[in-house]
Amino acid sequence: MSDPMHSSLTDIRQGIEGIRRALGRETQAPLTNPRPAVYPAYQAKTPAESTAAFLVEIGKLSGVGKNVTPASLPVDFSALVSENNIQKAVVWHSDWFTELGIENSLRSLGVELVSPNADKLEMAQCDLGITSADYLLPETGTLVLRSSAEKPRAVSLLPRMHLAIVRPEMLRADLHQVFAEAKDSHYLVFITGPSRTADIELTTTLGVHGPKNLFVWMMPQNGGSS
Amino acid sequence: MTTETIPYIGFEEYSEHIPQTIPAAVQQATSRFVGGRAARVSELPHWEQLRQIASDIRLHTIDNMDIYLNRFVEKVQAAGGIVHWAATAEDARQIVLQIAKEHNVKLAVKAKSMATEEIELNHALQAAGIEALETDLGEYIIQLAGTGPSHIIVPAVHLKKEEIAALFSEKLHMNAPSDPIELARIAREKLREKFLSAEMGVSGANFLVAETGTMVMVTNEGNGRMCTSMPDLHVAVVGIDKIIPDWESLTVFLKLLARSATGQKLSTYTQFITGPRREEGEFGPKEFHLVLLDNGRSKIMKDPIGRQVFKCIRCGACENVCPVYKNVGGFAYGYFISGPIGAIFAPQMLGTQVARELPYASTLCGACADVCPVKIPIPTILRHLRRRVAQGDEVAGPSMPVPIRAMAGMASMALGWNWIYRFGTGILPFFMSVFKRGEWIPSAPYPLNRWTKARPLPPFNASFRNWWRAHSRVARENTK
Repeated sequence: MSDPMHSSLTDIRQGIEGIRRALGRETQAPLTNPRPAVYPAYQAKTPAESTAAFLVEIGKLSGVGKNVTPASLPVDFSALVSENNIQKAVVWHSDWFTELGIENSLRSLGVELVSPNADKLEMAQCDLGITSADYLLPETGTLVLRSSAEKPRAVSLLPRMHLAIVRPEMLRADLHQVFAEAKDSHYLVFITGPSRTADIELTTTLGVHGPKNLFVWMMPQNGGSS
Repeated sequence: MTTETIPYIGFEEYSEHIPQTIPAAVQQATSRFVGGRAARVSELPHWEQLRQIASDIRLHTIDNMDIYLNRFVEKVQAAGGIVHWAATAEDARQIVLQIAKEHNVKLAVKAKSMATEEIELNHALQAAGIEALETDLGEYIIQLAGTGPSHIIVPAVHLKKEEIAALFSEKLHMNAPSDPIELARIAREKLREKFLSAEMGVSGANFLVAETGTMVMVTNEGNGRMCTSMPDLHVAVVGIDKIIPDWESLTVFLKLLARSATGQKLSTYTQFITGPRREEGEFGPKEFHLVLLDNGRSKIMKDPIGRQVFKCIRCGACENVCPVYKNVGGFAYGYFISGPIGAIFAPQMLGTQVARELPYASTLCGACADVCPVKIPIPTILRHLRRRVAQGDEVAGPSMPVPIRAMAGMASMALGWNWIYRFGTGILPFFMSVFKRGEWIPSAPYPLNRWTKARPLPPFNASFRNWWRAHSRVARENTK
């Protein structure tokens, strides 16, 4: 019996060798020429313009974006929980969230909290998943999220609603800038609006597999940041 | 390697049996996407520059594909992923089956993927007793219905909500209402259970980034995220043509893809996956396999004109503007990729014998090339493939019937030599008089009868030179 790992490495080598021959390239030749230059990044706007543009895009995507402050959070949460009948929630572990007292606010509203490392079946029962973001793209209204044990990727996916609490300093001018900072991450997800489909008679339907509602709360620069 | 007999693609025959509802539904979809694309394109003043750069990067990548693939494989392995090479569709199926069996998989959830359609993975998994479930809503519907896709972006667009409700009621043993939102909710519920219990997630990828060994996946519904982050095992099957050099290149393709496909600025979810999960609690697969699929692509690499098909980023913009596609829909092409791109992809993948009708399933109007975000010269490749069909190539002999080829040969002789041409025009009226009935030729002998089936032929009265001479004499006399 041959070692399957070994035979697959040989297959890869031979396969790529076949491509090289088909292209008529010299053995192990370096790149014939550098990769053509890409289109330059979009010009950065002022922070205020970017923030406004970002929230407008969230609205166009059927998300709900608004500005909040640490002081307004208890009222904002109270409204969110009562309007959407939220009973169970899961929240990313982060120092900033602890500082803002998010878990305490939810508990005081009678919401049951599930650990972000809970079993997937349990997390799927949650009404609300609360995350922050690592970067924001104003042009497309996109949240960029990395993944770790403290900030699991399922929190923005399994609950029926997703709330992202973000800050203006997360805004980046363009994809170029996000990629330059994040390309070494082993997992990234761009979230641009709530889950959607138009597969049945081209009728736009939200929340087919991912969250049906996306809320984005923008906290000003001095808003309880550590 | 097994030699599979590939069934002949009878575009003409298929298109004659298309129900009227299909072009109607397809045109609703295409006009929506054409409108959406136009709106997004008008927002970007530098759209044409982006297209040109994308085209240049794609050609550069094809020319250096071996180098970028090598780099990609090294990086995936360094990130803890397991890479496989599948020279043929059968190899790819065996690799996936082997992985599934080693992990005792009973249920596999699938994100929409062209590569797994290409290798017909579902049949292979099901034959081995493994349930393979499509989870994109449109794909889920057509899997329940047991049909193929009619459009690349909205595969079930040919089905009315009443038909889907009847289908759900029958297959899911329930009473489903004919309301799109309600039907989507039912699918969400049914598929939720499956996502949470499947042992394996199967997906394709939109791009493979050589720089870091990252696979990029674009979806709207979130099923792609489910398939790649709920099961402990993720297997991606990806055509080698999906490779791109680096993240800087990716900026260009991501700006073009969703705008060209659905008229969105970006699709809802874009995932960038480099190897398996790193930490226990973050979700994501413990084991990550990537199957690089050749399946005849290396053979196409030899043809500098034909291989430009690999610039394709599968947006479907060419289908949406194609006058032929809009009148027949996806089924008529008999291949998992339809429309103009299918017409240049299938004959190269399957051979110019099996798919010889497809390069002719086009008016060569060029609308496809005008909208293509990576500037694939589709009409040029269609003409190139028509030549290969007629003359034969290294993989297939000539496919045109002998009389047609003889006629084409004679025509090229007649047009090449002046005296033959003049001799021919001299004797033509005598030949024609045999078939002439009154002022017209109502039916001509084979192979010209394909013309006269549709309309009568006016008889040939004089050569153009003679007609011109007489005509200008009349004109001169009139002006005197």
